[in-house]
Amino acid sequence: MAEQTLSVSLKQVPQGRLGVWLLIVGELIIFGSLVVCYLLYRLRFPSWVEQTQHTSTFYGGLNTFVLLTSSYTIVKANDAALKKDLAKMSRYMLTTIFCGLIFLAVKSTEYAHEIGAGFTLTSPGLQATNPVGATFWSFYYIMTGLHATHVLAGMVTLFVVWLDARKGRNIHRVELGGLYWHMVDLIWIFLFPLLYIAK
Amino acid sequence: METPHSTTHAPQGFWTKYLFSTDHKTIGIQYMITGLFMAAVGGFLAYVFRYNLAFPGESIPLFGQLDAMHYNAFVTNHGMIMVLFVGMPFLVSGLGNLLIPLMIGTDDMAFPTLNMMSFWIFLVSCLVMVAAFFVPGGAFGGGWTLYPPLSASGYVNRNPAFWSTFFSATPMFILGVALEFVSMLMGGINFLVTTINKRAEGMTPFKIPLIVWFLNIATLDFMVSVGPLVAGAVMLLLDNVVGTGFYDPARGGDPVLFQHLFWFFGHPEVYVLLLPALGVMGEIIPVFSRKPLFAYRTIIYLSLIAAVLSVVVWAHHQFIAGIDPRMATFFSIGTIIISIPFAGVFLSFMATLWGGSIRFTMPMIWALGFIGLFLIGGLTGLYLGSSTFDIYAHDTYFVVAHFHYTMFPVVFFGFFSAVYFWFPKFTGKHLNHTLGMIHFWLTFIPFNVTFFVLFFNGLAGQHRRVNEYSSFSNIMKEPYITFEKISTIGAIVLMVSQFIFLYNLFISLRKGRKAEKNPWDSNTLEWQADSPPVHGNFNPYPVVYHGPYEYSHPSSEQDFVPQDNPIVLKTN
Amino acid sequence: MTIFPENISTYGQEIDRLFYTISALVAVAFVISLFVLLYPLFNNSAKRVKKATYFTGAKRKHFRWITFALVALALSDFYFLYAEHGAWVTIEQTQVKPDFHVSITGRQWNWAFTYPGLDGKLYTPDDIVINEMNSELHVPINKNIVVDLWAKDVLHSFFVPNIRLKQDCVPGRMIQRWFKLTKTGTYDIACAELCGLLHGKMRNFLVVESQEKFNGYIDSLYKKNAPALTMTNPSN
Repeated sequence: MAEQTLSVSLKQVPQGRLGVWLLIVGELIIFGSLVVCYLLYRLRFPSWVEQTQHTSTFYGGLNTFVLLTSSYTIVKANDAALKKDLAKMSRYMLTTIFCGLIFLAVKSTEYAHEIGAGFTLTSPGLQATNPVGATFWSFYYIMTGLHATHVLAGMVTLFVVWLDARKGRNIHRVELGGLYWHMVDLIWIFLFPLLYIAK
Repeated sequence: METPHSTTHAPQGFWTKYLFSTDHKTIGIQYMITGLFMAAVGGFLAYVFRYNLAFPGESIPLFGQLDAMHYNAFVTNHGMIMVLFVGMPFLVSGLGNLLIPLMIGTDDMAFPTLNMMSFWIFLVSCLVMVAAFFVPGGAFGGGWTLYPPLSASGYVNRNPAFWSTFFSATPMFILGVALEFVSMLMGGINFLVTTINKRAEGMTPFKIPLIVWFLNIATLDFMVSVGPLVAGAVMLLLDNVVGTGFYDPARGGDPVLFQHLFWFFGHPEVYVLLLPALGVMGEIIPVFSRKPLFAYRTIIYLSLIAAVLSVVVWAHHQFIAGIDPRMATFFSIGTIIISIPFAGVFLSFMATLWGGSIRFTMPMIWALGFIGLFLIGGLTGLYLGSSTFDIYAHDTYFVVAHFHYTMFPVVFFGFFSAVYFWFPKFTGKHLNHTLGMIHFWLTFIPFNVTFFVLFFNGLAGQHRRVNEYSSFSNIMKEPYITFEKISTIGAIVLMVSQFIFLYNLFISLRKGRKAEKNPWDSNTLEWQADSPPVHGNFNPYPVVYHGPYEYSHPSSEQDFVPQDNPIVLKTN
Repeated sequence: MTIFPENISTYGQEIDRLFYTISALVAVAFVISLFVLLYPLFNNSAKRVKKATYFTGAKRKHFRWITFALVALALSDFYFLYAEHGAWVTIEQTQVKPDFHVSITGRQWNWAFTYPGLDGKLYTPDDIVINEMNSELHVPINKNIVVDLWAKDVLHSFFVPNIRLKQDCVPGRMIQRWFKLTKTGTYDIACAELCGLLHGKMRNFLVVESQEKFNGYIDSLYKKNAPALTMTNPSN
């Protein structure tokens, strides 16, 4: 029977992987709701287009490149882990974490740039002239900020996994950390066009 | 056959055994005790404002005077505490932790450490909620639904000196709830992975006991519906603390957006609590009717349909909130449709009784009481599902009475049924039957006294969350003034009688009759383990041959066939 | 004892009738379910029936009874959905020709009423605003009254039990409702949505009176506000 084959094949999935997948589903629903809220507001206020002119496509694009690279390196790390090549795996994992660092550095520069131009979470200057536009920046910071927090969490997770895995312990966790990292990447793939490209 | 390895080295020290335990049974009991504590807090709040409603202006015994500010705070916290900090730990985390590993025949949860962590996060969230009463300005008083702009702007409690600081009531309230969500999400991942991955050999999907099915459907429903509220709560927190304008209409925000996000979670949450309670009934009724659960598979299909429908009916809480009237009609139809699968589940439970050989034990009486009360709760839901009648009844005491007739049986009758049923399993002692009977009748009757009269107060036009209704002299006249007093007296008796339960727990733990392995002659796997089960539960792991409800099977001599009994049943 | 407060609007009795319709359906459902629940408890106790009958309900023959019940429930559900829809359209989706147009604003913690000034139009500088706790909203009897509902600070809910009308007021938007009243007298206006500290003290009055008395009231308002009107009304 179909449901029994399904249950048997689900039972063969290692429980760690199953758990991470469920976590990813939960996270995607949270980010998905934020994106839906953003889209609802965006459709209601065509004047937000003025505000989107100020987001930096350069920094956003650079970060997209960095994250995509990191997704590639974590895949390579997992390949190496499967082949029990600890040195190579360790190298690729550290590269991934380093990519995360670059991402956060670029993000900080970008934030500094925006804050310097007067666009903050509440944008007090903008509120006086264009209160609706100020809410765009609230969305900008909440979405990218929550995402950056997830990048940081992913880096910490990968680091903890690395501490064990470089000595050959719990190598299967490399894959789990990688799954999470891909999710962080995926969310960015949605945020980038919404906030940086659609102008 | 593999042997459970953890049996060999159970933790021995006090700290690892009772406090920082990773054992699912200890964690389940920890959840339930924390839930009991929060129930005491929520109950005390209810006592204070109920007393104030019946005798406005008088000094309340054990408390003193209640002003409008504290009234709002108490009503708000009573709601949130009873739903998320009592219902959830009792029915979802508590029962889930205690029962899932035992009923599917395994040693522990899939991720025991994560399980322990989710309990400790839950405990912190409880402490945050309680601590919020003691910060300057008092606890949050903007309604448990947290509707902005009231909750987003700091003037709920009129304390401008403190509203902007982080340690004031509103951020703490939101944080407490958020931590609770984190804990439940972690617990939920654990439940799903455990059930999918760790079932005993031979336990195919349709040999899983109903309560495990329902706990998992509830968890899935929770995980799908909570995301939007998490996002919404983050925005609300920023509105409140930093001063962003997500819900501020002057800055393009929309207060109704939060209502959508809240009820997208809030309505499924009702089913998150209802489903485990129904699962408890699904275990108890067949055992004490000595009959298979009627239409076991159909019940599962119906509840899956209901879980899917539950995420598309949320706006029936907002019929008059300014949403499009055509949309309201759509949600009204959805709400009425969702009554059909649940009616099917209830009728199947009742059909199980027919042709049975019914034993009126304590758990059975609680289960029957649950069905009787929920019948009233469910049927009064039909009035409110009608968008037109809701124009009048919304935010009146009719709604209050209705949801107490659903939530009280679900949370408390569900919890008590479960405790009276599984107490022998987890402690090795029987609860006292006489005390149990007194407890039942002193809960059942006062509950009806408390809430039935409120239907009439609501129909008379009395609206909610008003601390001194005497100012509305046109509405608040006889007999409604007397009804308020009757309701309050009922509530006080209801709360006092819960001490009988606590006394029963205490006395039975010390001097109760010793319970054997399977005192109720039940089929499911937890009854085949020791009472109380050892660390690791089973040795060796059981192998499952039958469905969970093979009672009075014609080809078996005993009137029950444990799931791990290898005899062959002839089907005709 | 009457269940509902006295009805004074043209559509109020439709809501009352809907209540009794649903009550009839609910009563039938309740009695049947109670019988289904209680009958086996008396008939099938372990003392009377030693051995239970084995049936799982998986067979269609057995489940048929529940299917019947569910179909009956669905039919009665849809019957009252159909029955109620007329009233819903009347209250929420009908555009009436206004005989009198007034704007009502919920604020912490009273209802503020804005009458059109001499020009007969709302939202012009000569509007008369009454903004006090426990103030009165005067409306003429047997006239279509259209209200614009606003909220100044937080959510409020305009609730007049005697009209059977309740509508949330949301900051940032205007929601229009209407009613036509059939009985003179003074009635309560409450706020049904928690709006802060003095939510429970938010009580104003609806005064329904004959057209003559109402005209007199409006004239007295003009007189009281005359100095302000001469300054703000551009036609003077």
